[in-house]
Amino acid sequence: MKVAYVDPFVRAARDVFKLMMDLETHRGELWACDELIPSKEASVVIGVTGDLLGSILYSFPKEMTLKMVEIMSGMALEELDSFVASALGEVANIISGNAMTHLNTNNYNCNIVPPQIIIGQNVSLSMATPRALVVPLKTRIGDFDIFLTLTER
Amino acid sequence: MMWKEKYRIGVDLIDDQHRELFQRVSDFLQSVQQKGDWEQKTDKVKETLEFMQNYVVEHFEDEEAYQRQIKYPEYEEHKEIHAKFRAMINQYAVRFEEEGFTQELVQEFGGKLMTWLIMHVAASDQKIGAWVREQGGEGQ
Repeated sequence: MKVAYVDPFVRAARDVFKLMMDLETHRGELWACDELIPSKEASVVIGVTGDLLGSILYSFPKEMTLKMVEIMSGMALEELDSFVASALGEVANIISGNAMTHLNTNNYNCNIVPPQIIIGQNVSLSMATPRALVVPLKTRIGDFDIFLTLTER
Repeated sequence: MMWKEKYRIGVDLIDDQHRELFQRVSDFLQSVQQKGDWEQKTDKVKETLEFMQNYVVEHFEDEEAYQRQIKYPEYEEHKEIHAKFRAMINQYAVRFEEEGFTQELVQEFGGKLMTWLIMHVAASDQKIGAWVREQGGEGQ
């Protein structure tokens, strides 16, 4: 897993958060972990196919997730229900789609598969994955993690 | 309220429709998310959903006609994005027919609809305004 694959996702997350929620994101220190396990309560897994193979896991704290969807919808929200989960999945989907565009301009032709939303922490995804790189991103409404396991085909 | 002034593209016809569309989606989401017995709300949800679906289609048609009128260079790409969105709406219409208007499915649809609309208006549609301004036409 090359560190160079991380940048397109960080850029895409920064742009999408700014555009959709008027939020700045600040990158924390990169770390590696052995498994793809949701670190926070609301997560989205997106598979990557093409020149790069693997998965991306976005993991958000509950309060941050509710706040994100509140900013977009203008409504007060209390639960991680299907509406919130679906909106979160789409935000992750849009970030991943934009990251694919950045990767394509670097001559990696990749596609994403539809998002899978996971509610709950430390849920095993039963996926045999190589080591993941984790990039923490900080915002004024909370901090979230992007786990990446991408290998060249 | 979902609408933000930064979503304006500087073309009154489009901006008015976008504001209306955001209002409709916002009302729809509020009726979906309102507490209370789901069964008692389904008629209202169904009605709002149908109205909104029609409004989306009408808006796309008007926006595409406007793009043709101003000879917008990304017309084909933009039309394709609209077509994909219509296909998504149609897929949900089939699922509603088959699975019923369950709270879970309607909420899932609501989440997709809201994020798509925000992203489309905040990103793709802004390019229309930029083109009009480049041509020295109406706009801020």
